[in-house]
Parts: sequence; structure tokens; C-alpha cells
Amino acid sequence: MSVTEYDVIILGAGVAGLTAGAFLAGRGFKVALVTSGEPTACLSTGCIDVCSRNNNPLAGIKALPAEHPFHLVPEKTIRESLDNFQAVMTYMGIPYTGAAEENRLVLSALGTFKTSCLVPSTMKAVPQDTKDSIHIITFAGLKDFYPSYILSRRKNAKFSVYDAGVSSTMGIASHFEEKEFLESFIDWLKGQNIVEDKIAFPAVLGLESADEIVQTIAAHIGKPVFEIPTIPPSMPGRRLFNALKDYFRKKGGDIYWEWPVIGVEKSGKIIEAVMTASTGRPNSINGKAFILATGSFVGGGLTAGRDSITENIFNLPVHSPGPRETWFENDYFSFNHGIGRAGIKVDSSLRPAESPWENIFVCGGILADTEILKNGCGHGLALATAHMAAQSCMEHIR
Amino acid sequence: MNFEHCIRCTICVENCPVMRVNPDFPGPKQAGPDAQRFRSDREKAEDEWVLLCSQCKRCEMACPCGVEPARIILKAQQRYGLEHTHSLAHLLFANNYYLSALGSLTAPIANRFAATKIGKKIFAALRISTYIPFPKFRFRKLSWNKRTPNRRSRKVAFFYGCFINFYRPDIGKKIIQLLKSFNVDVVLPPQWCCGLPALGNGNLQLARNFALKNTASLSNYIDAGYDILYSCTSCGLCLLHDYQDIMDIPKAKKIAENTYDLHEYILKLVDDNYIKPQFQEVRRKLAYHIPCHLRALGIGYPAAKLMSMIPGLECEIIDDNCCGLSGSYGFKKSNEAAAIQIGNRAVARIKKTGAAAIVADCGSCRMQLGGISGLATLDPAEVLSEALGITLTKKK
Repeated sequence: MSVTEYDVIILGAGVAGLTAGAFLAGRGFKVALVTSGEPTACLSTGCIDVCSRNNNPLAGIKALPAEHPFHLVPEKTIRESLDNFQAVMTYMGIPYTGAAEENRLVLSALGTFKTSCLVPSTMKAVPQDTKDSIHIITFAGLKDFYPSYILSRRKNAKFSVYDAGVSSTMGIASHFEEKEFLESFIDWLKGQNIVEDKIAFPAVLGLESADEIVQTIAAHIGKPVFEIPTIPPSMPGRRLFNALKDYFRKKGGDIYWEWPVIGVEKSGKIIEAVMTASTGRPNSINGKAFILATGSFVGGGLTAGRDSITENIFNLPVHSPGPRETWFENDYFSFNHGIGRAGIKVDSSLRPAESPWENIFVCGGILADTEILKNGCGHGLALATAHMAAQSCMEHIR
Repeated sequence: MNFEHCIRCTICVENCPVMRVNPDFPGPKQAGPDAQRFRSDREKAEDEWVLLCSQCKRCEMACPCGVEPARIILKAQQRYGLEHTHSLAHLLFANNYYLSALGSLTAPIANRFAATKIGKKIFAALRISTYIPFPKFRFRKLSWNKRTPNRRSRKVAFFYGCFINFYRPDIGKKIIQLLKSFNVDVVLPPQWCCGLPALGNGNLQLARNFALKNTASLSNYIDAGYDILYSCTSCGLCLLHDYQDIMDIPKAKKIAENTYDLHEYILKLVDDNYIKPQFQEVRRKLAYHIPCHLRALGIGYPAAKLMSMIPGLECEIIDDNCCGLSGSYGFKKSNEAAAIQIGNRAVARIKKTGAAAIVADCGSCRMQLGGISGLATLDPAEVLSEALGITLTKKK
């Protein structure tokens, strides 16, 4: 058996896991991150929703129900986590726009608005009302992006289609990273003689230099340019993941891809190691503390059976909203499905409540009572609780 | 995991290097789990596009649901290979081991011939691309000095693989010296091609033949108390994963349990306090291109950890790009355009680091990235050797 020793083992490679990992690695701890695949953050819009129920996210948080895990994080820590995120993203070359006190609007592919707090700079120029006229550029063969949906909701919108030679999201984004492609595209765009106020694109403007590409197009055409998030594959989500991942590694963290955890070694009230599946020797990875950031159902942290919900790594007690009939409302599109409250209950230091373990700290979407869909608080909660969990973890080790 | 576990999230699609550049390849989701439900044992395979998959396995690493698109596609490739006649290029690359043995034996002539106009015309007629130079055969192959093993030292049998053996025996020699300097006894067991080129070119039977011979040989060494070491990450992946998963080789589990990546093994020696390497300062900035098959091995990046112990060395890890060559994939005319485009992207990312040289564990990644970028390429073992002051004594 291969055995490796670390100070902290992070379980899960999403926004919460990578943020907690970079926080600790940046303070000199030996950190390993273990994941059984890429996170759902890759599928997200890349926007950091903190609390979308109020124009002021911080005021929105205060109005959340008493059991919401946001209340476990002091406002100072929430602010720090957002400031730190913006600094990291600027450093990594994908800057974010926004402030903790005011939400922004992002135009969706259906022409509706989505409310978020921090948004990629490529969505900075999104009109915040319906007054500005927009011209949408889409790409021949690109699936699941139909400007007509937007046109039906915005009177002052038009669209044009460009043939990029490839039709997949990744393929087009990859082409935009090439200088010659970008130049010939800009020539074509100039020929369109666009009269509308702003130019909108599905979010396919590059893999890693999107900010630069958006600015280049805007400078050549002389009009503000912005991206509209698409359904997956989602470039802004992938850029977010790649930047957080590279930053974690820059801080000295190790990542173990495709390490599904199959067992845990424990002694008394302490988790000593996690074991992971492998074709060859089983791997065992030791740590003084463990940060559980595996996400909820889609992320793979929780599994729902017919009548019960289980946590997949430590088999922690899961807070269930009630018997199965309370899990789902009749309306599929409802924000009030009971299942949104399932997760791990924690104490004030984010240790799992009602369980003996002293060195597990929980953060992100796996927490109980988040109701992420209803409250619009996904990545924002992940950032805030990741900081909190990392701080508790640091105190535990010292 | 069953293909029906696919939730169609498209994370695999985001990771596919081929789909980005070749619109004819429908991507891992469609070619893998989506198409799988339409594949029937009673109908002839018509999905020729499965051959466009380069088997980088990035989709498998990314899948959050444990589905293995590359494996599903590999099986479809085998099936397609069985039912259709192979192109000559496929046939040649499947038998790369025998051709290379011949090339190596006649190195001075073979190398010169490959560079002539007629040589190039023959390559073109076989639909083999030459956008990067073919690696040069080396006449002198790998050998080692037998010595009486010290009873207390660790013993390893080195599976050096075709690339080192036929093209870069100097790297093999450095690895042997490196291990000796760590007080590890090294033997070179009888060995054949790992089988991956045959598997990748649709010849399961040939791949199994190689695998059976290797398993028999390596198994004897394991019984005699040796650990098996590989330095080529694609050989390693084949030994550890494909022997068990794809080829159903008896004893494959035993091989998998006792086989280590070279740097994983050295790191283990450090962790066990068996050695305390005294690295000298190396003032260099390197870009470490992580080969797709190192990622797929699921052992982390052990060479990166070792190189991080070298004072003065700046080494930036880049693991988002496939080099595009994927063994013999890019050498086929039908894949050339895709391979070059994927390679260009990987090189653009490397050049952003400002590094003067590229490190990669895999010989074919180095051929591709070095060929396209014009930058120097190094095996991690060469970097470690440099930091430990190991140089090869030239034999006349």
C-alpha cells in the first residue's frame, strides 16, 4: 500500500475544496486534494451567487432562516472570502466584477435576467435593464443557444450568425485563442455594420484569455461586448475551475485526480486516513485534518436511496428534510423542494454535529439547510464556509 | 462503471482535446456512453469515427460519475478493428516493436533512409505523417552490469519500454545510475513491447501476446522479491490498467500490485527514510507538461514533487493539455491536422510560462512538443540526474 502523509486532506475539487485548500497551502500547511472527477463548478455559469433574494446580498443573508449555515460565518469572514476571491481571480487573469453590497444582473440564454453578486469581467457590460439595444452574435451549428428566445423578450435586439468551422462550445472557444481566427472574425464583425448599443455572445470567447478577447473585440468595434452564459459545456464555469485549480497548485497543494474514496481509517475520535480505489495497490492518504467539500447530490457528496440519504465518505449523519413524500413538491420548477435542505448539520466550527469526529470540517454545498436554488447562494456560500472551515482546521492542527 | 451511469453533464466533452479541433469526432459522450446503447453484438460495427479518439483518457479522469468513456470507445475500436480490414499504417504501428527492433539493429542505415526523399515518399504512400521528425534509432541498446546484489538493498526490475530501448538508451542508463546512487539494485528483465501500440491500432490479439509474455517474465521477478519499475507512463498505464481491464490477462493483478512509476518509487524511498537525496542547486525555469497517461495512472505527479525539492528549480505544472501525438495517433495522416492543432495549443500554453525547456515523462509527448516548439525537452529523470551530479561515462 502506498501511504502518503499530509497535514490536511481536502475531499472535493469544487469552489469550496479548492478555496479551503489554497487558504491552508498558502499558510504553509501540506495539503492534498482528493477528487473522483471534476466538480459541478465546471458546469456552472461561473458567477458567484452570494444571496440573490435581496438587491444587497449581505442584507439578504441576514434575512435567511435561522438554521441557514451562512449564519455560522461572521460577516467579516464573508467579506474577506469575497475580497480574497476577487484578488485571486485578478491574479490568475480572469478578473471578476461586483461588490458584496449590491447584486448585478446577468442576461440568460432565454433572455431573462439572473441575479448574482460577483460576475466574470466578460459579463460586466450586460445591460442592467431592457433599455439598451443589443446585437447577438451566434455560431453556425452551436447547440442550445437560440437568439430567438432573447429576441422574444427584448424588442430592441437583433442577431447574426458566424460560421467558425466548428460547432462545439469547446471548439469555438479554442479557436478564439488563436490570433488569426480572432483577426478574421473581427474583420467579419466590422462588416456587419452593427448599429445596436452593445454586442452579446454566447460564452464561447476563449478558454483562458476570455477577458483579453472580449476587450480586443470591444476595442476594434468600439462598442461594449459581453458574454451570455450557456448550458454546459460552460466556458465561464471551466475558466473558474481552472483558475482555482492552478492557484491551489501555485500555493503548493497536491491534487490527486480520480481517487474515489472507498474507506476510512479511524482511531477514537480522529479520522487518520482515507483509502482510495486503484487498479493496482490501494492508496492510503493520511492527514491530521479532513475538509469535506464533496458537494450535495450532483456533486457526489450525498446519495439518496428510496427512503434515506447517505453521506458518501465518512457516513456522517445526514439531516433529512423529513419522510420521502416531503422531498419534492408537485411543481418540478419549484424552488421549495424539501430535498434542498438535506445535508450535514454542523457546529459553530463547522465540525459535523451529532458525530464523534474532531478533525472533520464541512463546507460548501453538502451543508444542511442551504436551499441553494431558492436562496441563490451556491458559490458564495462555498467561498465563505471554505474560509471558515480552513480557519477552524488551522486552529485544530495548532 | 456502467455507461448508464452517465448523467450527460458534458464534463468529459470539456476535456476532449480531439473534439476541439476535429468536428468529425462527436466527442467522448456521444462516442462513449451515448452510442453504447446502440451497439449490438448482432450488427456489424459501422462507427468508424471511434478511430478518431486518441485514447488520452482525459474524459475518464474528469467524469464525476465514474463512467469510463475512453474505455467504452477503446472496446468499440477493438470491435471495429476485428470486423474491418486495417489500414497499412495501423498494421505497421501495431507492430512497432518488431519494426523498431529492426530499425535499431540497422540504425545508421535506417535513420539515413528515413530522412531521404524516397523514405519520405514511402511514409507518404503509407499515409504516415512526418510533420515532426521521426525519432532516431540508436544502435547501442540498454544493458546493465550484473553485480552481486547487496542483501539489504532494495531490488527492482526495470521495464524500460520501447522508447528508451530503441531511441533513447542514454535516458535508460541515467535512470539505472540514478537508482544505483540510491542504493537500489537494478536488473533488466526479459521484456517485450507493453502492447499499447497494438491495442491502440486495433490489434487485441497481438497486444495480448505481448502482455502474456511480459506478465510471465515480470511475475518471476516479483516472486524473487523485486518491485517492477516503469518510466514510460503509457507503458505503466498499459501494465497496470489495460492488462486487467481490457486484455483479461491472468496474473495481471499481481503485476498491478507490484509495479511502480520510477518517481513514485523514489518518493517512496524518501518517505520510508531509505534515502535522503542531496540535490544541488539547478537554476532553471522548466514547464512540466503532464502526460495524459500520467494523469490517468492516478498516482498524482510524483516527479513534480521530487523536482520541487531541487533548490533554485522553477517548475510550472501544466496539466490541462494533451500534446496531440498520443503515441502513434498523430503519425497517421488521417489524424495529422488534429494532432498539429492540439500540439500548437499545448505549446502556446507552455510558451506563456517563459520556460526555456519542457519536462515530460512520456517520450512521445517530448517528440511532439519539442518538434513543434523548438524548445529543449527533458525527461524528469534527466533533471534529477543533473541535480545529483550524475553524468554518463562515455564508452568508446
